[in-house]
Formats: sequence, C-alpha cells, structure tokens
Amino acid sequence: MGKSFIHIVGLKKHFEMGGQIVRALDGVDVQIEEGTFTVVMGPSGSGKSTLLYLLGGLDRPTSGEIAIEGERLDQMDENALALFRRRTMGFVFQSFNLVTSMTALDNVAFPMQFAGVAASLRRERALKLLNQVGLGNRADHRPSELSGGQQQRVAIARALVNDPKLILADEPTGNLDTTSGSAIMHVLSDLHKAGRTVLVVTHDPRMTRFATHKIHLLDGHIVSEAEYEAAALEAMSVE
Amino acid sequence: MKFFDLLRLVIGNLSRRKARVALTAVGVVIGTAAVVILVSLAVGLQQTATDQLYGIGDLTQIQVSPSYGGEGMVVGPGGGGGGGGGFSASDEIKLLTNPVLDEFRAIPGVESVIPREYIMSGALMKFQKMESYVNVIGIGTNDVADLGDSAEQGSTELGRGRIVIGITVPQSFYDPNMRPGQEPPPPPELFDQQVQMIVFKYDSNGNEIRKNIALRVTGVLKETRGESDFTVYMPLDQVKLLNEWSQNRRFNYNKDGYSMVVVKVSDVDKVIEIADQITAMGFQAYTPQSFLEGINNFFIALQVIFGGVGAIALLVAAIGIANTMAMSILERTREIGLMKAVGATNRDVLAIFLGEAAGIGFLGGLGGVIIGWLASQAINVIAVAFLANQASESGGAPLSLVVSTPAWLPIFALVFSTLVGMFSGLYPALRAATMIPVLALKYE
Repeated sequence: MGKSFIHIVGLKKHFEMGGQIVRALDGVDVQIEEGTFTVVMGPSGSGKSTLLYLLGGLDRPTSGEIAIEGERLDQMDENALALFRRRTMGFVFQSFNLVTSMTALDNVAFPMQFAGVAASLRRERALKLLNQVGLGNRADHRPSELSGGQQQRVAIARALVNDPKLILADEPTGNLDTTSGSAIMHVLSDLHKAGRTVLVVTHDPRMTRFATHKIHLLDGHIVSEAEYEAAALEAMSVE
Repeated sequence: MKFFDLLRLVIGNLSRRKARVALTAVGVVIGTAAVVILVSLAVGLQQTATDQLYGIGDLTQIQVSPSYGGEGMVVGPGGGGGGGGGFSASDEIKLLTNPVLDEFRAIPGVESVIPREYIMSGALMKFQKMESYVNVIGIGTNDVADLGDSAEQGSTELGRGRIVIGITVPQSFYDPNMRPGQEPPPPPELFDQQVQMIVFKYDSNGNEIRKNIALRVTGVLKETRGESDFTVYMPLDQVKLLNEWSQNRRFNYNKDGYSMVVVKVSDVDKVIEIADQITAMGFQAYTPQSFLEGINNFFIALQVIFGGVGAIALLVAAIGIANTMAMSILERTREIGLMKAVGATNRDVLAIFLGEAAGIGFLGGLGGVIIGWLASQAINVIAVAFLANQASESGGAPLSLVVSTPAWLPIFALVFSTLVGMFSGLYPALRAATMIPVLALKYE
C-alpha cells in the first residue's frame, strides 16, 4: 500500500500566549485515505482547528511533517502553498467569510480570478455550483439578503469552485440552527459521495453519523473514542 | 491573476468605499492642482519673458567687441597698435582689424562679418519743426537686411545720403519749442522725406561747431523689439568720415580696428560654439543665446521650485493615502485571510492593495489636473485683463498670457500622482500581503 492521501507525522504546533507556551498540537500522527469523510472531534482548545489550518497550509507547524498526495506542505514556501491551496483544497468556515459587498455569484466566482479563469467561464461555473447547492435563484443576492444556512451553502459552492480533491470545513454548522446545520451536513456528505475527501472539524456529536472516520483530540493529543468518552463523562460529572 | 481582473477588482473595491476614497483623493486633487497651477505659472512666466526678450536680437548673431586687455583698462583707438609682445595671453590687446575680420570669416559656419560704428559725437536729427537725438550706427554693408532686418516701407538698401530707420525712431521726435501744457504733435511720417542730421564738435576754446548733412529716409524697418527699432542705419564710410571730422583725426581700420563687429552664423545651433571660439581668440563675444540660456535655466529652476511647493501638498496627500490604506487593510483583514485561503498568492494581495492605492492617486490626479487646468485658464482670463489695464496705464506691451500649461504637464501630473498613490500604499500593501492567513482569518 502506498502512502495515504493525507500523511501527518509528529505534528507539533506551539505558540506563546500570555507568557506561557500553549501546546495546541503536541505530536499528532494522522493518516487519511482519499475519498473518506473524516470528522475531527474535540472540545474547544483541543487543537482541532489548529490541525485543520495546518492541514490547509494556512498556518505553519512548529515541527512535524504534513504531506498531501506526497507533497510536503511544511517545506513549501508561501507562494507554493498558495498555489497548492488553489489547486487542491476548498475551505468552509464557521463564519462563512463571504465578501459582503459581492453577490452570491461573485463570491463563488471570486477564487477563480486568482486562478486566471476567463470571466465568462467563471460565471458559468459559479452559477452551476449555486444550482448544485440549491441557490440558483439567489445568485444576485448579497450575503446580507441570505439566511445563515444559505450563506454557508454559498461558501460551500465557493469551496468547490476550483474542483478541489479535499474539502476542509471548520465548524461549518457552528453558527447555524439545527435544521440548517443538518442540511449543510447533507451537502458535505453529498460531496463525499461524489468522491471528494472531506474533513470536518466540529464538537457537534450529531455530525459523526456521516463520518467514515473519526479523530478525537484532547489537549493536543489524539485519543481513542473510549478515552474521549471517558473524559467527556468526567467533565460532566465535575459539573 | 490577469491584469483586467485585477483592474476590475480594484475598481470594485474602491467603489464600495466611495466616501472614504473621495475624501482621501481630495488631498491628491489639491496637491496635483497645486503642481499643475504653479508649474503652469512658471512656464507661463518663462514664455512671457522670452516673448518680451524675443527682440533682444537675432539669435544667429554674435556681437564681438575688441579686448583691450588688463583689468577693464580702456585703450583709445590707435593706442595699442599691433604690438603687445610682452603681454600675457589674457592681457593681450585684441583689436577688430580687417585681417581679424577675415579670420572670423574663415570660421566654418560663419555667414557674414559686418563691422559697425557709432557716431562718436552723437547726432541730432531734424525734421520740420521737430528734432530727436538718435542712435546712429554705420554698418559695413550696403544692405541692412544682412543684419537680419527687413523693410516695413521702402527698401533696406543703404547708399550715400540714404538712411534706413527703425520703426520707433519717429516716435522719439519732439517739438523743442512746445509750450508746457500743449498737446504734443503726432510722430512725423519720415518715410521718403528729407531730414537734417547735425553732428557736433568743440574747438579748443570750447565753442560748438556744427556740421549739417541732408539725408533721405529710404526705408523703415519692421519691428524687432530690439536695437534696430530705435536705430538709424547709415553706410559705415559716411559714419567714419563724420567721426574723423569730429575727432580731428583719421581712422585706419587695419590698424585701429572697429569698435564692434557683428558675426552672423548660418546655423542657430552653432552660435554658442562659434561665440566660444571667438572668445578663445581673445575677443569679447556676446550672443543673445547665451543670455537666453541663462534666462531659461532660471525658469527651469523656478519650475522645479514651484513644482516642489506643489509636491509638498502631494506629500501630505500621500500620508492620507497611506492612512486610508492602513485602515482599510485592518478592516479587511479577514477578507485578506479569505483571499489567501482560496489561493491568492502574496503577490496577488500586494497587487490588489497597491492597485487600490494607485487608484486613489490616479483619481485624485485626474481631479487635480482638471481643476488645475481650469484654474489656470481662469487665472489667465483675470490676470491678462488686469495686467492689460496696468500696461495701458504704464505704456508697456500687454501680456497675451500669464499661465501656460504645456501638454506634458497633465500627463506627468497624472503619472506622478498615481505613483505617489502606489508608493503610499506600498507599506500597508506589503503588510497585507505578508499576513499569516490563519491569523488574518481569525482576526476580530
């Protein structure tokens, strides 16, 4: 068997906060196969978001290896990372991060400008993706005219625009009500079924029902599900 | 990122913050307008000055005077001779003798060499009841056209008993018997008229002796706004005879030399070079061009100084742009993070923010050029009207324009203001480009 799609070895991310060293990730090894739906669970401060941003090349590790399709992100320069993100990844954020002055269509088409895609093609592709997430009739609306669930769907459409193999979602349902949240999960699940690799960071246990793989993080370490449950119970009993 | 996409994105980003962009651009508008107006003023002043100086002489002429050596020591005609073997080169007495004139003629590019002499005793010219002390010059050619002048009336040709006068000569005539308060008579019409010229000398007892000559005005010269306007031209031989009479001695031009020689050069571009050559031969060469060059240098300095004053206003505007861009980048930190997440390189981000800063500079520059140009036109209208009033009171020539905007100025101002904008945005844009994506995305 060759190397896995995502290959993380001894990953550490330390930073200083208030004079203390915070070990957000403290030696994490992860292997993720292509075409999987992985959910990263963990309470806040467990390092799960840090893992996602390191994986997405938006942050630099203190030490350790991160490889996607055999390419070492930790050894790339800024420019190579940007090109790699453009080619390989789509991001979905908790707070959507749409550009408020742009229409839904322009928001979806936005990343293609950096890829140098022709204007007519950008429009065509963005419209197709909006249709795919069920917002074809909202293409000319600005984010302020859309509900939270709709905004997140626009964000997902944007994440898909460069046809990435990997979708990275950071608490995609965190700002949404239950119904909208589960709708978004279904959209992400559909992407997985269509063959993409999806990695979702969440602390919402309901997400796990879509997952093919689960990673549990506690204080910067990967733990087993049993340890994770035990810790959760312990936390509840303290309360 | 394609240039056209970048342009569209920049325009889109600027148009979503219209008020702030406009307020920032106002600073650039003021700065650019100041540069345009002040430089236009300097250029206008230069044009006015050179227009007025236009008459200082034919630009292809070099006026050469003899050098009497020493520290300004003046040696009268006949005092030097050809000697001076003991003098050093700089002290050497150099006279404009006929052989020297032949040397001048041999210089490549010299068209003609014309000696000239004043009437040493001064000359009074009389016509009917009016008279005038005139500037009489004898020239060593029988056609005044050789000096670059042309005739308004009659011809430029000289001959014995014939004179050619400058256009303002009649205006200097007055009636010596006019009573105070009496309306002065109009200037006489002298063309084709017989006039009297009187030259003076004094005997050993101090008694005045007059010599009276009848002359016919056979030509009036076109206006040059130079020396020829108020000069009466006669053949050199006749002036020589009058001088010999008044000085009681004979002049030998081969020995004593002429008091001045006009060297006419065929090509304007060679004037300075030939003048330098003549100076190197030990003579004093004067050309209006060297004077014009000095004037032009002065006005270029003036343009730089005026432009610099305007540039200070632009500097203030530049700080405004830097401030606006820094604020904008703070507000859009998450957007910058997003751009990086979706694959924008540092260069893309840098280009976008530099483009926005340059855009503010360009918009301000455009406004400044338009306002500056309009203001220049307004100044022209007002100032020309005002100065025309003044000129009519003081009798000077009215100005045609005060402020002049050369074609290069608006283009330069526009490019410069755009560059100022870009330069001001450099630091904020660099900060934006080098932000760590994750920190930018989490920025609150």
